[in-house]
Amino acid sequence: MASVSVSLEEVMVYTAAREIADGSAVFVGTGLPMLAAYLAKATHAPEASLLFESGILDPQPTHLALGVGDFRLMHAATSIRGLHYVLGLLQRGVIDVGFLGAAEVDAYGNINTTVIGGDYHHPGKRLPGSGGANDIASSARSTVIMCPHRPERLVERVQYVTSPGFLGGGDERERAGLVGGGPRMIITDLAVFRFRPDTRRAFVSSIHPGVDPEAVIEGAGFAVDLPDEVEQTPTPDASAVALLREMDPAGVYLKRPQG
Amino acid sequence: MSKVCSLEELAAEIQPGMSVSFGGFAHSLTPMAVVRELVRRGVDNLVLIGIAEAWAADMLAGAGALRRMVLSNFMFEGFGLCRNFSRVVERGTVEFEDYSHFALASRFAAAGVGLPFAAVRSLLGSDLLGGSNGEQRLAHQEFQSPFGEERVVLLPAVSPDVVVIHGHRGDDDGNVQVEGATSVIEEQARAGKTVIATVEEIVDSSRLRESPHFTIVPGMLVSRIAAVPYGAHPTGMYRLYDADYAHIREYVAASRDEGRFADYLAQVTAGGHSAYLERLGVRRLLALRPDPHFGYHLEREDGGWRA
Repeated sequence: MASVSVSLEEVMVYTAAREIADGSAVFVGTGLPMLAAYLAKATHAPEASLLFESGILDPQPTHLALGVGDFRLMHAATSIRGLHYVLGLLQRGVIDVGFLGAAEVDAYGNINTTVIGGDYHHPGKRLPGSGGANDIASSARSTVIMCPHRPERLVERVQYVTSPGFLGGGDERERAGLVGGGPRMIITDLAVFRFRPDTRRAFVSSIHPGVDPEAVIEGAGFAVDLPDEVEQTPTPDASAVALLREMDPAGVYLKRPQG
Repeated sequence: MSKVCSLEELAAEIQPGMSVSFGGFAHSLTPMAVVRELVRRGVDNLVLIGIAEAWAADMLAGAGALRRMVLSNFMFEGFGLCRNFSRVVERGTVEFEDYSHFALASRFAAAGVGLPFAAVRSLLGSDLLGGSNGEQRLAHQEFQSPFGEERVVLLPAVSPDVVVIHGHRGDDDGNVQVEGATSVIEEQARAGKTVIATVEEIVDSSRLRESPHFTIVPGMLVSRIAAVPYGAHPTGMYRLYDADYAHIREYVAASRDEGRFADYLAQVTAGGHSAYLERLGVRRLLALRPDPHFGYHLEREDGGWRA
């Protein structure tokens, strides 16, 4: 590793940024995906277009936004419209990659952001709901899911499918009539999962530097498919890390590495 | 005839039992003075059809003003869950029905162009349409295009009894201008059976006609309009004032506990909007003024300057 100490969250953001191709259209939400998108634009993908559900198209923010509704995100946008307009563009098929967070994500990339515990009508805990996530999961050409690596977050089957991944696996997603391509990967703070082309079940495609493979298995609530040969997730170089810390100097989204 | 009225007269358009929808997105654009006036008058039994107006939803939920919520997402961006909203759902005291943002916005859009239903490609395969036990959650129909192979979901159009919006400025004919990202205001306003608007200022029509591209809700759709300065506080208005993050933190802290939240509500509704602004004070309101170049306040404590 380079002389600079890198946090696992910084590895997550860097990994997400690498999924953004130059010239592509990206649907971005609050938090780590926002930093990933800025990093991509500042480095290898200056011509990527960023769309936000608040109705903002391709801004050039100079201050970090607390959310997609923050006025800081409107600075130097190419266009500012409404929610229905940008989500309509998404349904139209313009989005190459959409980013999704998850309270729960399962081995087939289905996401729950609606209820935890109890049942739908009598939940133990009520979460915010779909927002634009179901729309992104349904219509983006591909999605990238970002989620902390904890047994209660990475589950065998989500309690409630707010946003569809590959549903029960195989061709279930296509049979449901969904036209978007579905999840490309799940990025956690320990590893990257991709999906088997036949079963559509997640397998570990890389493990972050310094992470014990046992922790990847123990940290998931589903049976982890860990191939014998697994790559190490690429680490951001010093300049990428410096950029990230410049964008989020107060650590709003990125915790600083310990020590 | 002028549509101008007072905030109190305007809010009186909303009667117990009605379905309502509010403008707003995250910490912006929300007609909070109207929301506080509804709480002050004890209007209840409301059906909220809400997409992005987390502030209206959470405050009305915490005030016990809601019977039912038709929603796509309520959260306080950067500050976590809407605790009053979560509490009433977990207790089962308010009925609810979940959509995605685009699905619910499309129901408004369909109503706004006089169609009985919307067609969307969202929701397919998800539990928003129905549970694994075959239970149907939303009125819908999966439908194959008569012109091809594509499958879509049909959803009924929705027209709230009253749509409430807050704009940057308007005139006495009810024309309303909004600057910045406009959330779902255009679709909501076209869908509403009645549309009422508060605005930061009412100006002469000739001034609106200088910049008609900002007039996103034409007066022909609007029944009543009231001048309510800082009517979105503690949410912000792009280029006019920032969201009041200190107030947001106080609200979120109070909302963790029902007793504290009741105290908060009593405090912010006492004496109506003028008394509310007086208690906030000039110093605090002036501190929310934006930088004229950026359109927002630059000295927020979370930093984030990116040279």
